[in-house]
Amino acid sequence: MIVTRSWLQEWIDLEGISMEDIAKTFNAIGLEVDRICEYRVPKKIVFGKILECEKHPDADKLNVCKVDIGSAIRQIVCGASNVRAGLIVAVATIGAKMPNGMAIKPVKLRGVDSEGMICSSSELGLPDIGSGIMELDSSIGAFKLGQQINQNPLFNDDLIEIELTANRGDCLSIRGVARDLSAAFYRPIKEYRVTDNDEKRGIGRMLSLVHEKGLDVNLRYKALDLKELRLPFIVKLRLAQIEEIGSYDVESMMLYVTHSTGVVLKAYRHNFFTHDEKMGKVILGKDEHGFISIKNEQKEIASIVGVIQKEESKMEEGSGTVVLEASYIPPDIVSKKMAESKIKSGPIFYKTSRGSEPKLEAGLSYCIDLIKKYSNSTTFSGTVELSKTFKEKIVTVIKQEIDEIIGAEIDKSVIAKIFKNLGFDTSKSSIDNFVITVPQFRHDIVNKQDIIEEIVRMVGIDNIPSKPFLLQEANRLKDDYSAYKKRSVYRQKAAQSGFFESVHFVFDEKKVLESYGFKTTKNELELLNPIVQTLDTLRPTLLTGLLKAASQNVKNGYASVKLFEIGSVFSPTREEMLKAVFLFSGERESESLNNTGKPAKIDFAYFVQKIADITGDIVLREDTTEHKLSHIYQCAVVVQNGEVIGELFRVHPEVEKAYDLDVTFMCELDFDKLSYESKTVQKRSKYQASFRDLSLIMPKDMSYEKVKETIEASQIPNLVRFYPVDKYTDETLGENMSLSVRFVLQSTAKTLEEEEITDVMETILGELGSKLGIGLR
Amino acid sequence: MKEWYNKINKAINIDALEEVRIALFGKRGLLATEFAKMKDVPNEQKAQFAKDLNAHKQNLMNEFTAKKIALETEALKEAMKAEAIDVSMFSTSSSAGALHPVMETMDRIVEYFSSMNFAVKTGKMVEDDFHNFEALNLPKYHPARDMQDTFYFKDEMLLRTHTSPVQIRTMLEMKPPIRMIAPGAVFRRDYDLTHTPMFHQIEGLLVDEVGKVSFANLKFILEDFLKYMFSDVAVRFRPSFFPFTEPSAEVDISCVFCKGEGCRVCSHTGWLEVLGCGIVDPNVFEAVNYKDVSGYAFGLGVERFAMLIHQIGDLRSLFEGDIKLLEQFQ
Repeated sequence: MIVTRSWLQEWIDLEGISMEDIAKTFNAIGLEVDRICEYRVPKKIVFGKILECEKHPDADKLNVCKVDIGSAIRQIVCGASNVRAGLIVAVATIGAKMPNGMAIKPVKLRGVDSEGMICSSSELGLPDIGSGIMELDSSIGAFKLGQQINQNPLFNDDLIEIELTANRGDCLSIRGVARDLSAAFYRPIKEYRVTDNDEKRGIGRMLSLVHEKGLDVNLRYKALDLKELRLPFIVKLRLAQIEEIGSYDVESMMLYVTHSTGVVLKAYRHNFFTHDEKMGKVILGKDEHGFISIKNEQKEIASIVGVIQKEESKMEEGSGTVVLEASYIPPDIVSKKMAESKIKSGPIFYKTSRGSEPKLEAGLSYCIDLIKKYSNSTTFSGTVELSKTFKEKIVTVIKQEIDEIIGAEIDKSVIAKIFKNLGFDTSKSSIDNFVITVPQFRHDIVNKQDIIEEIVRMVGIDNIPSKPFLLQEANRLKDDYSAYKKRSVYRQKAAQSGFFESVHFVFDEKKVLESYGFKTTKNELELLNPIVQTLDTLRPTLLTGLLKAASQNVKNGYASVKLFEIGSVFSPTREEMLKAVFLFSGERESESLNNTGKPAKIDFAYFVQKIADITGDIVLREDTTEHKLSHIYQCAVVVQNGEVIGELFRVHPEVEKAYDLDVTFMCELDFDKLSYESKTVQKRSKYQASFRDLSLIMPKDMSYEKVKETIEASQIPNLVRFYPVDKYTDETLGENMSLSVRFVLQSTAKTLEEEEITDVMETILGELGSKLGIGLR
Repeated sequence: MKEWYNKINKAINIDALEEVRIALFGKRGLLATEFAKMKDVPNEQKAQFAKDLNAHKQNLMNEFTAKKIALETEALKEAMKAEAIDVSMFSTSSSAGALHPVMETMDRIVEYFSSMNFAVKTGKMVEDDFHNFEALNLPKYHPARDMQDTFYFKDEMLLRTHTSPVQIRTMLEMKPPIRMIAPGAVFRRDYDLTHTPMFHQIEGLLVDEVGKVSFANLKFILEDFLKYMFSDVAVRFRPSFFPFTEPSAEVDISCVFCKGEGCRVCSHTGWLEVLGCGIVDPNVFEAVNYKDVSGYAFGLGVERFAMLIHQIGDLRSLFEGDIKLLEQFQ
C-alpha cells in the first residue's frame, strides 16, 4: 500500500508532524514501513504558461516557445511532442540545478536562443507520467505564474510504502490509513461530504436492476452522460506514484478514487446493458461456481463482483453514457469462493478478498464530483441499488482480561479513546465490561483478543513492561532433547574427524535416483507441485546429494573432499528416517611438509578408520548394496553391537567418472541405530597382557570373517581380543595367502605362564585346523 | 706437571679429553707411574711426596671434570643446532572439518531455550492440512495462506510450511502447562536470492492457566534471548499480524552491521526483523480443545540468524555443501 503525505493530508491534518514521526508511528501501530521516497523538486523551477509555440526554423523536432513566467516572458526551445500554446508548465529557469546534476544556462539551440527548459516529470525527479512535458492544471490547487513549484505540496512530497499484513484490508486506501493515523495522533479524520448531484433526468428511466434473492453483496449504481473527460494532472501523477494505470481514462479515474476512498468502483459503458440505447438492464445472479456475476440481457458477463471486470464492458471513451458501480462483498465470502474454485481474477480481487470499504455512497459521490470537475458531464438523479444489511458484530471484553493478557494495567479512558478514534462504538459498555460494536470495515476483528490487539498497537508495545514468566515446576514433557543432543554430539565428532557438515534440500531428481536403483516415493504419494524438475521427489538417500556437492567442490579445485550430512530421507511410503552419510574423496589430507607435497589417496582402511573414529567400534561384513553407486568388490554392511547399521563402500568407478571424482568412499548409516547409550565399564585385569602373532596360510578367497567367527565361537578363555596386522602373498604361496593375526591374552587372576599361553595358542590353531582346514606356514 | 694442566685445557673435544684422561689417570698413566716412584723415596720424605702428589691428582681431577662438563655442554649445543628447523614453515591450518553454520546456530538457540526450561519437540516433515493450517486458524480461504506457498502431495498431504504443526501435535498429546520449542526444516515453494524451498525454523510455545501468561512475559523472554544471541543490541516490537496469534508483533533488533546508523543490509532503517510472536489466538486453543488457558508463541528463521551472525550474503550458498564456505567455520 502506497501513501503520500499530500494525499493523506486530504483526509487528516498532519500539519506539524514530521515525516520521521509519521514513519515511526506507522511501524508502532503495525503498518510496517517498507520504503520511504522523497519528492523534492529543486529551486528555481517555476510555473509558466506557453503563450506562443512555433516550429524551429532549422530543426523538425524542436519548437520555439514564448513562455510567461510571471516576472518576464522567456524564449525557450522545447523538443517535447506535446508542447503547444496555452499549456501550464513547469519551467526550469536560468540557475536551476536539476536532480540529475545538470545546471540550466542560457544556450543556443541550432542558432536559436533558449533561456530555460520546460520540464517533464522524470526530469524533476518525479515518477514518469508518460512522454513529454508535464501539462499542469487546476487539479494541483492555486498557483501563480513565476511561483516556485516546490511551494506546492505535490512537488515537495513524501511517499511511504507500507507492507500491509493480510488482515488489514481496511488500510488499503488513503482514507483507511488516515483513520489509523487519526487514532494514533488523536486527530480527527476529515469525512467526505456527500453532495447531492441531482439533475432532472432520473436514473430509473435508463437503468434497471434484476437480481436473485439472498445475494451477499451491496451494490450501488449511478449514471452520467460523460463529456470531454480530461484526466487531471494530480490523478496522472498519483497513479504513477502508486504504480497503477487504467486501460482507459475513465478506468484510471476509478482506480484513483478506489485508492483514495477504499470503495471498489467500476465504470461500464451504458450500451453494454442495452440494445436500443435507452433502457439498460443489469442482471445479477450466481454463476455455476457460486460467484455473483453481472450480465446483460444477452447473458454476456460484464463483471464478477469482487473478482474481475471484463474488458468488453469497460468505458473506453471520454464521452458517452456511463454507469458507475460501487460494490462491497464480504471478504471471507469472496475468498472462500475463490479457494473452492479458482477462476481468473483481476487486480480488484486483492482488495475485495482483504476487505474493501463498505460505505459505498461516499466513494461514489467522491467519484462523481471528481469526474464532473474535470469534464462537462451531467448526472442522472438517484441511484439504483441492492443493499443487504450485514449483522453487527459485538465483542465483550472484561477489563481484567485486557490487563492479564497485556501484562500491564491500561487506563479505561485510554481504551475508550482508542476505540472512538478507530471508529468502534463503545457506548454500550458498563463499568467492568467493554461492549464494543465492530465497524463493518474491520472484518478482521471477531474476538476479544482481536480487541486487545488494537489496544496493544495503539498503546505501543514499547510502553508495555517486560516481565519474567513465573515458573511453577511441573512435569516436563517427554521431549526430544536427547535425540537432538545425540545428533549434535555425532555432528561434532564428524567435524573433529575432518568432515564438513553440509545441508541439502530434502528434494532430489526422481529419474536420476531411479537410474541408480533407488526406490523413490510411490507415484500416488508423489509431490504435486515440485519447484523444478531436478527437485521433483523426496530423497530416499543422502548419498546422491553429497556426490553432487563433492563434484562441485572438485570443480572448485579441491583435491580432497570430506563431507557429511545428517538428515531426513523418505521411504516409498513417505516414512521419514534419519540418516548419516559420510563422503571422502581424493587425497587424505592437504599437501604439506608432512607428506612431502604428495598426500596419499584415500583407501578402504583409512576411510573405515575415519568412520570408526566417529561411530565407535564397527564390524564390516562383505555385502552388496541395493543401489548401483557402489564398487561391487569394495562394499560392506556396517555392524555395530550385532546390528546392521548401514553400508560402507567405494563409489563405483563409473559413478566416480560421471561425477568427475577421484577415488571416493562413502558410508550411509541409519542414525537411529547408532549407539548413544552410556558405556558400562568392564572389569580390568591388573596383570600383564601377552601378545602372540600367528601367520596363517589360508586361501586368498577366504574371508577373514570366517576366521573371526570360528575363533569367537570357540570361546577361548583368557583371549581378550585379536586382530589382523599383516597380509602377504607371493608366487610360492600360489592360491594362498599369509595372514598375520595378533592375539592378546590376559587373565584377571594372575600373570599367564608360558605354558598356559602356548596352550591357548594351540587351542586356537586346533580350532582353525579342524573347522577351516588352515594352519601355520 | 704443569704441562698436563695445559693438556687438559687444550683438549678440543671429548675424544681428545678422553686420551688425556687415559694418559693421566689410566693404569699405566702418569699418576700411576708417579705413585710407583714412591718406593724409591726416602722414608722421611715419603709423607711429603705423597701429599704433594695427591694434591696434584685432586687438582688435575677437578680441572678434568670442569673441562668435561664444558665440552659436553658444547657438544649438546652443537647436536641441537644440527636439529634446527624453520618453524615458520610449519604454520598450518586446521585439518578438522566444521559444523554447518545453520546447524550450529540452531544448536545455540536450542541451548538457550532448553536452559530456560523449554522442552525440545521435533516432528515429521510430511503433514496434513489440519495440523499445518486449519488448527492454526488458517482456514482454506484465508488470504494469509498466500504468504506460504505450499508443496502438496497427490494425496492431499503437504510439506509443513512452518514448525507450528509440532506445537499442535504436542498440545493434542499433552496437558498444560507446556513450555516447548520446535526446531526443524520447513518448506515453501519459493526459490530466489532470498528464498530457498527448504529452510529451518524454531518456534516456541508456552501454555499455562488462564490469566497467567501475558504479552509482558513474551517481551521478557525474547529480549533476553536476543541479547544472548547478539549481545549488545536494541530490541523493538512492532504490532503485526499472524493468524495464530493475537495480539501479534514482529521483533526487530538494531542493525548488527551499522549499529543502527542505517546501511544497505537494513535498508537504511537501522533495524533488522528477526522474529514473529504473539499471544496464542483463542481459535488455536479451541482447535486443540484447551479451555481456560493462556499462552504465548514465537517463531524465527534459523538461516536469517546464521546469516546475520556470520554475515553470509547468499542464502542459496548454504545448501550447496561448498567447502569454500564451510572451511571458514573450522
